[in-house]
Amino acid sequence: MAKELTTESYIQHHLTNLTCGKTPDGWTCDPYKVDQMGFWAFHVDSLFWSIALGALFIFVFKMAIPKTSDSNSAPTGAQNFVEMCIEFVEDNVQSLFGSIKNTLIAPLALTVFVWILLMNLMDLVPVDFLPVLAGHLAYLFAGESVEWINSPESFYFKVVPTTDPNITLGMAFAVFILTIYYSITVKGVKAFIAELTLHPFGKWLIPVNFVLEMVNFIAKPISLGLRLFGNLYAGEMIFILIALMLFFSSIPIGILGFGLHLVWALFHILIVALQAFIFMALTIAYLSMAHETEEH
Amino acid sequence: MNINATLLAQAVVMIVFVAICWRYIYPPILSVMQEREKKISDGLEAAKKADDSLEEAKLAFDKELNQAKSEAAEILEKANTRASQIVGDASKKAESEAEKIMASASTAIENETNKAKEELREQMSDIIIDTTQKILGDEISKEKHEAILKKAAEEL
Repeated sequence: MAKELTTESYIQHHLTNLTCGKTPDGWTCDPYKVDQMGFWAFHVDSLFWSIALGALFIFVFKMAIPKTSDSNSAPTGAQNFVEMCIEFVEDNVQSLFGSIKNTLIAPLALTVFVWILLMNLMDLVPVDFLPVLAGHLAYLFAGESVEWINSPESFYFKVVPTTDPNITLGMAFAVFILTIYYSITVKGVKAFIAELTLHPFGKWLIPVNFVLEMVNFIAKPISLGLRLFGNLYAGEMIFILIALMLFFSSIPIGILGFGLHLVWALFHILIVALQAFIFMALTIAYLSMAHETEEH
Repeated sequence: MNINATLLAQAVVMIVFVAICWRYIYPPILSVMQEREKKISDGLEAAKKADDSLEEAKLAFDKELNQAKSEAAEILEKANTRASQIVGDASKKAESEAEKIMASASTAIENETNKAKEELREQMSDIIIDTTQKILGDEISKEKHEAILKKAAEEL
């Protein structure tokens, strides 16, 4: 039952994740049963790309480490690139984190930066490339055995993990957990609770203080995740709309679409790098706040 | 676009990747970088030291060279003085020697001359006596006119 290709279905197709989860009938990835899955569902495409790109990051950086640890020879190729990244991260950690010694921060910042950069860069792959490829491959190999893959179009495949709020909020959540962990281990439980309850109005208005500080505290990870998601989602959306110009309108507008695509892709490179950097910088900043003991 | 368990899965994946990076990726690269940084700064310092010591060596070299030059000049001067002195001494000596030789030569010549004169005088007197005897016969003998002959020889 191949659906008719309309503007709406095209956009909808690009914005739907391949979701696998548990339904009353067992585990399935059928897009029509997503409503029955509830919370325990996974966006397999987002997680696939996220893990693949994370693994790529680890692989490239692992390869770049010189086998023999002789520092006599000048660094070449990949090692130069990797050292450039590390120097960039070290600089940022130095300026945002100051003198506080924590060996986790720099690797965390490096991972976050490179990983998000790679995930964002998936945005620059033409919007239809991988979804169509994946759809056809799925139909080819599983079209007969799996009931719900009845056409290449029925297989959803979203390519940019950072346009999935689950991914960005998941990372923000991990940062949030680290923030709480360091707040407790560095400041102590007492100081941490005091920080959340004794500001800004003193000890006579503890409930009010707690509500205000809680909002402040929880807003950080949410804004961290949603900022990345919003920027990349909007960028992806514009790519989809420009792609629509090529398929659903006259030839002159289609040609204009090519030009726009190029312009937007160039501009998007900036957003890709900037958002990765902002996420990294804020991660460092939040963790450095978790280390600060003085009253504010 | 529902919020679902993907969020938790991604958080776990992120923690795993960060842990891998923290444990296995970051420290070796950083240590290589720091080691190289140290080596480079050491190298630069060594180069600076070498530069300094080169400068010092150059100064020392110049100093030694100048000293050697002045010493050489001094020696040369001394040698010149000495040489001229030697030459002067030698020529003086030679002159005096020559004078001496001349003096002795002239003395010898005088002696020889005197001797020759003496001999000549004696022979002369003999010749005269012989001749006179021949002329006068035996009237005159050497013994008789000894005194006269002697006087004549002295006058010659």
